[in-house]
Amino acid sequence: MLFTTDKQTLDDLNIFGKHGGDSVYNIFNRTVTRGGAQLLEEMFRYPLSDEQAINRRSGIIQYFAGAGTSFPFRSMLFDAVEPYLGNTDERTKLSPDEHGIGRKLSHLIGKDVQTAVIYKGVEAIVELLKGMQDFLLATGDGIYSEEKTAITGLLEELPAMGGGRLTHDVVAAYDVLFRFRHRDVVQRLLRHIYQLDVYLSVGKVAAERKFVFPLALRPDKPVVILEGVYHPHVPNAVGNTLRITPDSNVIFLTGANMAGKSTFMKSLGIALFLAHMGFPVPATRMEFSVLDGIYTTINLPDNLGMGASHFYAEVLRVKKMAHELSQSRRFFIVFDELFRGTNVKDAYEATVAITSAFAQKRNSLFVISTHIIEAGDVLKENWENIGFKYLPTRMNGNTPVYTYTLQTGITADRHGMIIINNEGILDILKQGNKSNVQ
Amino acid sequence: MSFIADKQTLEDLNLLGKYRPHSIFGIFHQVKTHGGGRLLETMFNSPLTDAEAINKRAGVFQYFQRLRLKFPFSADTIGKVENYVSMGAGSNALATMAVVIQKKLLSAFVRDEQYHLLYEGFLATVEALRRLADFLRQLEGPMDHPYQERIQDLKGFFADRRLTEMLREDKMSLLKVAKYDHLLKHTFRAEMEVILEVIYELDLYISVADVARARGLCYAAAYPKDHNIFRAAELRHPGLDNAVGNPMSLYRESNVVFLTGANMAGKSTFMKSFGIAVYLAHMGFPVAAREMEFSVRDGLYSSINVPDNLNLGYSHFYAEVLRVKTVAEEVSRGRRLIVIFDELFKGTNVKDAYDATLAVTQAFSEYRNCSFIISTHIIEVGEVLRGRAENVQFAYLPTVMEGHLPRYTYRLTAGITNDRHGMMIIENERIVEIILQ
Repeated sequence: MLFTTDKQTLDDLNIFGKHGGDSVYNIFNRTVTRGGAQLLEEMFRYPLSDEQAINRRSGIIQYFAGAGTSFPFRSMLFDAVEPYLGNTDERTKLSPDEHGIGRKLSHLIGKDVQTAVIYKGVEAIVELLKGMQDFLLATGDGIYSEEKTAITGLLEELPAMGGGRLTHDVVAAYDVLFRFRHRDVVQRLLRHIYQLDVYLSVGKVAAERKFVFPLALRPDKPVVILEGVYHPHVPNAVGNTLRITPDSNVIFLTGANMAGKSTFMKSLGIALFLAHMGFPVPATRMEFSVLDGIYTTINLPDNLGMGASHFYAEVLRVKKMAHELSQSRRFFIVFDELFRGTNVKDAYEATVAITSAFAQKRNSLFVISTHIIEAGDVLKENWENIGFKYLPTRMNGNTPVYTYTLQTGITADRHGMIIINNEGILDILKQGNKSNVQ
Repeated sequence: MSFIADKQTLEDLNLLGKYRPHSIFGIFHQVKTHGGGRLLETMFNSPLTDAEAINKRAGVFQYFQRLRLKFPFSADTIGKVENYVSMGAGSNALATMAVVIQKKLLSAFVRDEQYHLLYEGFLATVEALRRLADFLRQLEGPMDHPYQERIQDLKGFFADRRLTEMLREDKMSLLKVAKYDHLLKHTFRAEMEVILEVIYELDLYISVADVARARGLCYAAAYPKDHNIFRAAELRHPGLDNAVGNPMSLYRESNVVFLTGANMAGKSTFMKSFGIAVYLAHMGFPVAAREMEFSVRDGLYSSINVPDNLNLGYSHFYAEVLRVKTVAEEVSRGRRLIVIFDELFKGTNVKDAYDATLAVTQAFSEYRNCSFIISTHIIEVGEVLRGRAENVQFAYLPTVMEGHLPRYTYRLTAGITNDRHGMMIIENERIVEIILQ
């Protein structure tokens, strides 16, 4: 089954981001080849939902990262291979029996562009094949052995690459093999190479940023154990520890403005998303049971142009979640400031009603943040599987200081008025020019 | 000093932008010529701050709306005239003639396009001048009219013997083309530019008047700054069809409107309608109301869709605080402003939002030279304000329940409402049932 998510979630977590921005994809986008970058994007588009596949992929990345392997091919080779393989016109085949003096002469003066592309392409593939053989010899029989066997099988379908100069006849013969007869083999080999590129570059990122590889568990019970999880784009981020288990599968998060609720929720989402790709995560330890999807609602835009109020946009979003949940699948669901677009009374009642309904879905995991702390007290009485966490604010004289460290409980921290006072808004208005003389 | 309306305000009200869907600029952008479009853009970018200038411009619009004239030129013709006038010519009559003849010869022998271009542009210009002369004759009535001043200068131009002679010509020989070419491009060079400007203005006035007629807009009467009044009847949003009109008045003694109402009752739309009317009125443009009068202000500030700038590390609440601070600074400088706050402090907890809304509203309300509309969900603030400040008006947009379905009247009513239908909307969407299925 596919791992599901949606555009709202990808935007909230800034997985792809806008061009060249601080997206999660850009953290890992360090591949040597363009094919690798494409494959990486594919992996981001389609996270896995099978714990064996996840653990295998992360195992391979760890294996190479541990061995310190570097990518064994020159990146220039791929610039030659791609346009070469892209040309599938039979008429451009090199003909081997053009032995005339004319060809030699014209060759001497300069090859035409097309022939040059073919020569370069064939030479590059020959080098790739040789390099692949050497690489396989140097790689031990670890977790990569399955791929290794597959690659060896593919290599055997092609003639062994000897040493020596490539004469015109040989190039012409290889050209037919690579581009037409065994085209499929060559392309499958290339895909293995691109995969290798992704594994190696991701491993490098993990080592540089000290990311950790999560362990995927069977999906029987919903469990997420995260230690020291942080947001990869926040400098000097504070790590937090959180356990979401069947006994507390709903986390009710409170905290003052600017205490870091949204950032914490984003870092949770990012860690879970990466974990389902088999990728390393910004944390010190992570174990998780495989889920069917992840949905976050952090920056919900109100579609006022279409006449829907912010509140209604939230209602529709909750409804969408409700539909997904009713199919008894396992989700990780994040709601930041549920129902902030309405009056207090409604927001209170709605938060209690929706959170209570969520609490009865023991297969899924929920993180819900709110300003309405009163809802927490009611929920605490009625449900024992709701965990209460908050992000504290310490007052340092008149300035609030944020620790960004998760605590257990509900907080009544309120510093909105202090922020307003610190900005001096009321003083400005008090001392302003109220008569109409300018 | 120019009228102040910052980027946030312009975006909240969706005022500018030719290509933005449903922008107010787009509603009025019915001009036929590029020059007219540029002129419209200039007017949108710089509203006026002088009551006399505003009334004068509104008067011109009204005058054209009454006359129901059609713009007598096609965009194509005007394009050719623009090209022709910008071609330029030598200062010497003989040299100009030589150039024209040379082009004619080139065209005859090597099929050069230049003469053709020149000839077409020339003919288009002559035709345009004829039409303009006819058109201006229509404007001459027994009475003075507001556009008279502008076209006064052109009278002498059209009375000029050389020009009347040219306009009477039936067939243009090569020599005549050369002669008049020099006349138009050199002798009357400055006049030709004025002519183009007048054409652009006519385009703008006629097209805006057409929009006003088609949409049933009215012209607001402007009063000097020290009056501090605003009064409108049947104020509505110009972009909505079948919009409900609402009255609105703000005086020195009642300069704050405290607006409440359920979700979707139309609070934001009403505030936007008000802001748009204020902005358009300061441009001298027609506004979406039955009638309206206002005193000229120094600027307009709105805070309807404040985006949270999480990338910069701002929470939504902090973004709002900074916005309020900006407005507070402007207000405290003694400027006469119109301020619109939609759901002040919605990004924080209730207690803070209550304290902050109360304190800020009260502090603002003391600035009697400014007018404020503040909407909120926290109705408790209203009860307290009622006792403390006598210059606050209370208004709400009601919701009528028809069985389980809320219906919105969009009619402004005096008072504070405690309508709440959030839970009902959630129940109508059957969310809890769906989850527990």
